[in-house]
Amino acid sequence: MSDEIIVLKDVCYKYEESSHNAVDHVSMTVRRGEMTAVLGRNGSGKSTLVKLINGLILPDSGTVLTDGMDTQDDEHVWDIRQRAGMVFQNPDNQLVATVVREDVAFGLENTGVPSTDMPERIDAALKAVNMTDFAERAPHLLSGGQKQRVAIAGILAMRPDIMLFDEATAMLDPRGRKEVFETVRQLNREGMTVVWITHFMEEAAQCETVHIMHDGGLVLSGTPQEVFSDRERLQNWRLDVPPMAALAQHLRAAGVGLPEGILSIDDMTREVEALAAHL
Amino acid sequence: MLNNITLGQYYPLKSVVHALDPRVKILLLIAYIAGVFIVPDLTGFVLVVLYLALACKLSKLPFRLLIKGLKPLRFILIFTCILNLFFTGGETPLLNLGFATLTREGLINAVRYSLRLIFLVLGSSLLTLTTAPVTLTDGLERLLSPLKVLHFPAHEMAMMMTIALRFIPTLLEEADKIMKAQSARGADFESGRLFERAKAMVPLLVPLFVSAFRRAGDLAMAMEARCYHGGEGRTRLHILKVEKRDWIAILITAVFIALVILEPHFVPWHL
Amino acid sequence: MQLTFDHVTHTYQPGSPFQATAIRDISLTIGSGEFTALIGHTGSGKSTLAQHMNALLSPTEGRVLLDGRDINEKGVSKRDVRQRIGLVFQYAETQLFEETVAKDVAFGPKNLGLSPEETDTRVREALERVGLSYADIAERSPFELSGGQMRRVAIAGVIAMRPEMLVLDEPAAGLDPLGRQEIMALVQGFHRAGTTVVMISHSMDDVAETARRIIVMDQGKLTMDGTPEAIFADAERLVELDLDVPQTCRMSLELRRTWPDFPMCVRADEAYEALLTRLKGGKAHA
Repeated sequence: MSDEIIVLKDVCYKYEESSHNAVDHVSMTVRRGEMTAVLGRNGSGKSTLVKLINGLILPDSGTVLTDGMDTQDDEHVWDIRQRAGMVFQNPDNQLVATVVREDVAFGLENTGVPSTDMPERIDAALKAVNMTDFAERAPHLLSGGQKQRVAIAGILAMRPDIMLFDEATAMLDPRGRKEVFETVRQLNREGMTVVWITHFMEEAAQCETVHIMHDGGLVLSGTPQEVFSDRERLQNWRLDVPPMAALAQHLRAAGVGLPEGILSIDDMTREVEALAAHL
Repeated sequence: MLNNITLGQYYPLKSVVHALDPRVKILLLIAYIAGVFIVPDLTGFVLVVLYLALACKLSKLPFRLLIKGLKPLRFILIFTCILNLFFTGGETPLLNLGFATLTREGLINAVRYSLRLIFLVLGSSLLTLTTAPVTLTDGLERLLSPLKVLHFPAHEMAMMMTIALRFIPTLLEEADKIMKAQSARGADFESGRLFERAKAMVPLLVPLFVSAFRRAGDLAMAMEARCYHGGEGRTRLHILKVEKRDWIAILITAVFIALVILEPHFVPWHL
Repeated sequence: MQLTFDHVTHTYQPGSPFQATAIRDISLTIGSGEFTALIGHTGSGKSTLAQHMNALLSPTEGRVLLDGRDINEKGVSKRDVRQRIGLVFQYAETQLFEETVAKDVAFGPKNLGLSPEETDTRVREALERVGLSYADIAERSPFELSGGQMRRVAIAGVIAMRPEMLVLDEPAAGLDPLGRQEIMALVQGFHRAGTTVVMISHSMDDVAETARRIIVMDQGKLTMDGTPEAIFADAERLVELDLDVPQTCRMSLELRRTWPDFPMCVRADEAYEALLTRLKGGKAHA
C-alpha cells in the first residue's frame, strides 16, 4: 500500500461545450489518512477535480491514480468508485430510495454484496453517522444535515478508503453543517482519507492540507497556516481568510506583536493571553 | 407544507396481510379479480363479500378506509347503473317510463356490473393500503423479471417507479415554493379564463422543469458514483421468501375461486 | 410604512393528522428604515413568518397590519401589498423562467400593469442596482449566467417593483466568500437608499456586521428581540438555543478569563479597537 493514495499528474479536462480547460495541468497528491481541503471560487474547477478522482469523468490528458489504479483503466471503474465514495452538494438529489435503510443499501446492491451481509453493514454505517434511529424514515422528511449523513452512510457501507465531498455543507444551516463536518472529522480520525471541497474557510482551517484552485489551475497548496497567511492574495482568488486570521493580520499591521498562523478563536485567545502576560 | 403528503394510500399496520409476500399479494389480487368477473350470478357475490371481509378483518384496516376508496368512483357507478338499467333490453318489463323500459334483466345487470366495479376497487385498495409502494414495486419487478428474456425492462421500470416515488414530494415542495416566489412578483395563478390561467402557469412550469432536469442530472451522477450500472449483477437487501402464511393465503384463495366456479351447482336458485 | 404582527399564529393543515403550528402568537412591529435580521434554526418558523409579511400566507389566528390595515382583509389588493413588500426567496435563482434577463426582471413590473416604457425604466434601474450591466446582460438567457449573477437577476426581479420593504431569505446562501460579501454589500446598499430590510440569515457574522435589530425565533415563538449589542451580550442564551454567535463575540467571552471587563465585541472593527487598546494601550490612527 502506497502512502500516496491519490496522485494526479499534469491532468487536463475540458467540458465539451466549453472553450477552456475546467481543470488545467493540475498535479497533486493526497496522502493516505489525510484530510485535505480544496478551496476556490464558484466555477474554479474544484468539482471537476474530485469527479476525476473517482472516474466519473476521465482526463483528456495526464493520469489520475486512485489507490494505485489508473482511472482510464476500464476494468477498474467500479473498483475505484467503490473505494472512493462521493457525497454531493444537494442533499435532496443523491438519495435514491424512499426509506433510509434502503438508500444505504443502494451501493451494496449495485456492487453485488450478498443480501445476508447487508443488514450488518447498513447498521454499522448508520451507527457511524449517528442515524440509527432514522433507519425506517422517509428521506424527504429529514433535515438537510440528516440527509447528508444518510448519504455518508450510503458511502460508508461500501467500505471505501477515500471519501470525496463536493461542498457537502453548502446548503446546510449551521447546525447541520456542524453535524456533518464533525461526522467527517471523526471518520478521518479513524483513518479515512478525506477530500473536502468547501466555501467555508473555518472548515478548511481545520484540515491538514489546503489546496486552492483558480481558473482550473492549482495555484496554492500548503498547511492552513501557510495558505491563510496572506489575505490579499486570497481575495484575488475571491476567497478570504477565517475571521480570526483577518483580525490578527489587521492587528499585526497596527504593530501588535501577534505571531503568524492564528486561524481560530482558540489560537487568538491563547496568543492574546500570552501577550497580555508580558504587558 | 406539502412534505407531509402520503403517497399512494399505504396504511402501515402490523398484520398478516401486510406481511404477505408482495408477489403473492399481487397474484392473489389477480386471482380475486378473475373470481369477481366469473361470478355466475348475484348469489355468488356472497362469496366475494365473505372473502373480502376475511381479508379486511385480517389486515386490521378500519373498514371506512376501504370505503373511502370508492368515493372517486361514484359517478362511474351511477353511469353504469343508468346505462344498464335502461339499455339492457330483455323480456320481463317491470316498469314503462315511456322513453325507456325498465326490465328485470336490466336491473340484474345494473346490480351485477356495479358490484363488479365496487369489488374490483375494494380489492385493489386492499392491496395498496397494506403494501408500501416500494414493496409493491419490488414485487412487480420480481414477478416481471422472467420477461427479461424477452427484453422487457423489468428492473428499469421498477427503478423509475422508485425514483418517482422518492422525488414527487420534493418536486411538490419545490412547486409550492416557486409558485409563492412568482406570486411575490405579482403573478396571479387563481383568476382569469382558462387560457389566461394556462399562460399563467408558464412561470411555474419552466423553473420546475429546469429544476427537475438539474435534479435528474445530479441524481444520475450520484447513482453512478455509487456504482449503479443497471440491473445486471445486482443483489437486493430484501430477500422475498414465500412463507407458511403465504401458502395459507394461496390455499384460501384457491378455495374461494373453486367455490365461485362451483356455486351454480350447489345453489338451487339463480339470480 | 409600518408592518405590525398582532398575535399571529399559523397552523399548517389544521384539523388533519399532519397539523403543525409553525408560528405561535407573534406580535412585533417593523418600522420604516429598519434593518432587521431574523435568526433561528431551520424549522423555527422564520420562513413562515416572512411569508406572512406579504400575504403569501395568512394567519390562522391574529392579524398582519400594513399601516394599520389588515392585509388579509377583503378589498385589500394582495398585489399592492406584494409590490410594497418585496420577498426574495432562498436560492431565488430557481424562480427565473424567461428567455432573456430583461424579460425576467420585467415580470414583476408587468404584473403591476405598468406601461412598456415604465417597465423598461424599471428593468434598467433594477439591474443597475444589483450591480449588473444592462448592456451586457439584458438580452442574455438567465440560464447561461453564473450562479452569483443568476442570484442578482432574481433579486433585481423583486427590486424592479420598487418595494418599500425588502424581505430576503438567506440571500447569500451557497455563494463563494466574495460572492457572499458582495451580496451583503448590495443589501446594505438597498438599506442605505431607504429600503426597509428584513433579512433571514444563518450567518451570525453577516448579521452582526449589517443588522440594527435582531429577532430570534425558536420553535415558532419569538424569543429575543433587540439590538445586536443587546442580543449578543446575552451570548450564553444563544448558545443555549444552540445558535451560533459571531466569532468576535465568542472571542470576547473567552478573553474575559484574562480581562473580566473585556467588552462584548459584536463586529470585527470593535474587536480590533478593543484588542488594540488592551495590547498597545492606545488607539491606532484610523
